[in-house]
This record gives sequence, C-alpha cells and structure tokens, in this order.
Amino acid sequence: MTVISTPPPPLPVRRKPNGPIGPAGTTGSVAPGGPADAAGQVGADGCADGRAGSTGPAGLTGSADPIGSAGPGSPGRAAAPGLSPMLHRLAAERATGVLLREHGTLYLSEGRIVHAESPETPGLDVLLTTGGLLHPDAWREAVAQAGARRRVGRYLVDHGRISEGSLELCHVAAVFDAAYFVLGASGEPARFRYGAVHWLGAVRPVPVAALERETLRRRELLHRIWPDPATDSAPLARAELPAGPPVTARQGAVLDQVDGVRTAADISHVLGRPAFHTLVDLRRLVAAGIVRAAPPRAAEPEDPSHGPPAPDPHHPQQSGAIVDPVSALLAQPAADPGIALLRRLRDALEAL
Amino acid sequence: MPGIDECLLEAMRLPGALGASVVDWTSGLALGTVGDAPGGDHETTAAEAAELARLAAEHRAFAPDEEIGWEGKEPPVEDLIVSNRDTYHLLRFVATTFDSSVFLHLWLARSDGNLALARIRLGEMAGRLVLG
Repeated sequence: MTVISTPPPPLPVRRKPNGPIGPAGTTGSVAPGGPADAAGQVGADGCADGRAGSTGPAGLTGSADPIGSAGPGSPGRAAAPGLSPMLHRLAAERATGVLLREHGTLYLSEGRIVHAESPETPGLDVLLTTGGLLHPDAWREAVAQAGARRRVGRYLVDHGRISEGSLELCHVAAVFDAAYFVLGASGEPARFRYGAVHWLGAVRPVPVAALERETLRRRELLHRIWPDPATDSAPLARAELPAGPPVTARQGAVLDQVDGVRTAADISHVLGRPAFHTLVDLRRLVAAGIVRAAPPRAAEPEDPSHGPPAPDPHHPQQSGAIVDPVSALLAQPAADPGIALLRRLRDALEAL
Repeated sequence: MPGIDECLLEAMRLPGALGASVVDWTSGLALGTVGDAPGGDHETTAAEAAELARLAAEHRAFAPDEEIGWEGKEPPVEDLIVSNRDTYHLLRFVATTFDSSVFLHLWLARSDGNLALARIRLGEMAGRLVLG
C-alpha cells in the first residue's frame, strides 16, 4: 500500500456492549469467547483458517506460499468450511468494522464487504492514477477534503473527477483482488475492530459469501493454469529460451517488467493492474516456459566471468559433491530447450 | 452518470433481454449482474464467457490490421456474437483509461431479440459506463 492510501483520519474504535461473537461461536474450532476487551478488539481466527497447517510455517524461503495452495483436485477443497470462520460470524451478525489479518484488511459494513486492502496488491489510488484517468493531485485533494467524512469515492464522482462506472469497476476489482490475498493462508490470528469505517466510503458492497466463493474460484483458476505457486511471490526472471513462443499484449506488459528482481506485487504496482491479474499472466508465462522464479543469489561461483566450466553440460560432476546425474543435469543453465522442458516437467510434477 | 447497475438495467430494457452482466475477462469475476443467466448461475456463466472473451481479445487473428502493439487501452475486438437455437449472447468489450479487462455480456431471447439494435445500444452503454 502506498503512502497515499494510509487512512488519514484516525479509525474510531467503538466498543460493542456485549459479547460480540454470537451464537455461531460453536462452528469454528477456535472459540474466542468472552466479551470484547477494553480495546474493542476480538481475536483469534487466524491459525485455524484455511489450511495454514498444510503450507508449513511461514518464512521458509522466498517461495513460501502466501495464499494456500491446496489444489482443486485435493480432498481438502471439499472439506473446507470456509476461508475464515470469523468472517462468517461477522457477516451473520451484520457487523461493522475492520478485520485485520496477516495479509491485509477487510472492511465490513452491516455484514457486507465495503473495502479491502493488502500490501500484495496496488490500492485503488494506484489503479485509478496509473493510466492517467485520475491525477494524483486530484486523489490527494479528495482524500484531504472528504477523508474525514469518509466519502472520498463520492467526492471524486460528485466533483466530476471520475465517472461512477469507472469508480465502481476499479473499486470492485480492487476489493476482490485484495480479498484474495487477505483470505490466503495466515499464520497470525485475525482481529476485528468494531465500528471502524474506511475513509473511502461505501461504493458497491459485496456479500461475504460471494467474496469467499470468488476467492476459492481464483485459487482453482491459478492452479489449473500452472500448479506451482512459486512465481506468485518470488523475484522473477526470464527463462533462457532460444526462441520464446509469442505472448499476448497483456502478458507482454508483464514480461517487460521481469528483471530478476521484481516480484508479482512489484510488477502489478508498476502497471497499475490488480495483482491477481498479474498472477494469472505469470502462471501462463511459467507454463509456457518463458518466466521462472529467479534463482537464489547464493550461486556466486557460477559467475561466467570466472571462466568456462559452467556452460559445459557434459561434466557437471566437476563442481563437487553432486549426488545424482539427473539433479546435476537439471541444475545446469537451460542452454538446451530439452533440459528446460524436463525442468518444467519436474517442477510441475513436484507441485502437484 | 450511470454506474454498473444503471448500465445493466438499461441493457435489460432491450427487446428480448434475458440477463446482463459486467465481467472481468482476466479473472472471470462478475462485477455486476441482473436478470437471468444460462443455467441460473451468473458466476459460472461469467467465468465461461470470460474464457471466450479472453481468447478473442488476446489472439492476433481477431485484431484489426494496424493493431500490432496493443497496450491495453483500446480492446482490439469490439464485440463477440454467439448464437444458438433459442438465444443470442452478445459480448461487448469496454475501453477504459485505467488498466482493465472488462466486457458487457447481454443474453437475448432469439424470438424477440434484435441483434443489430442490441449491438449498437450495447456499444453506447459501454462508452457511457466509463465516460459518465
């Protein structure tokens, strides 16, 4: 999230008079119980969510999966009761406030989602300003003028900065986009602040059930294109292909930003494009063998300036204690397209 | 200044209109829906229509001659028409100044729908939706 989108007015935190977690408390495996504490926060949702257990502890390597990768074919999919038991309860009690999770926040108004933000994806301000639809100054002015009244969206439309349709299209896209990341596997407990209202104001509220269905559908969509989520979060590099297959215009825009350093989130920011769109294009580029996760920077001795041994694929054993010839072969730079294909096959099989 | 709902309700006033939606063809998300959908499920219909729209929008074969480096502002395809024994589907791409991949989807009864009229009107609605 950029600097601009940090909420200017302080979020009011209001106490709910009684135990906010209602009768639905029995459904989840975590029962927060007890009335709201003095800070108005109610905890405990996160760890039990989704399939955090199956993805292992966070912070393994760069390829740690932020979104949970249980595939559509896996039995866990049908058994999943929902992405967040806490969100279900909040929807049922028509709560208003903000749900804070590891990968972002969901704002609810009377049980429906009115806004979502995640550091994994560009905010509404980036989406609106990147293509030139809205000048950044106009955005800042709207936030300054109408932020305290929590009517920034309305202000932009009423002052003719953008059309109602443009605001709705961008905002709904941004909400589903951010929610996809917010509802991903989380290693931290979620919290809910009753009464918090986002300064943008309601645009097109989305039912919680629709948001969850869409998030699950998006996971399946990505999995169907290419099952390995490594490129969702890792720095990206081009695969060394002799002659790359043709790419579409939107994929080409993504590919132009792949430089060995940028991640999907970085690229989305540069393009002013919802991050899920970037993930879709990246998985297609990976499936086509055009893009891969950049290798870790540890392999310094392989630097070509050190001399000729690296490019020779016939003597992989020279580099030291290589265990088996297949791994050695696959560890070579992809000079031969056949090897590149083998490597992709291996990656795909491992990811299944 | 029409929003998504006004735009869809206007589409539903066309003769023979059965259902309408605004769909994102990269994700398959239905941004807004009104009326009926084939099989009663707008979300599934949106995902399937998005696949069709994506193929049409992304393949060079369907782009006009001068389009070589389309950068996402102006869709290379204006609309798609699918007809079956009893209905028409009309998909109209929406040009936006922000990065998007959105189209309008109108489902028409073949018995009283007017495809030519619908095509013209839907094009106008697509323009008004983003320009206001």
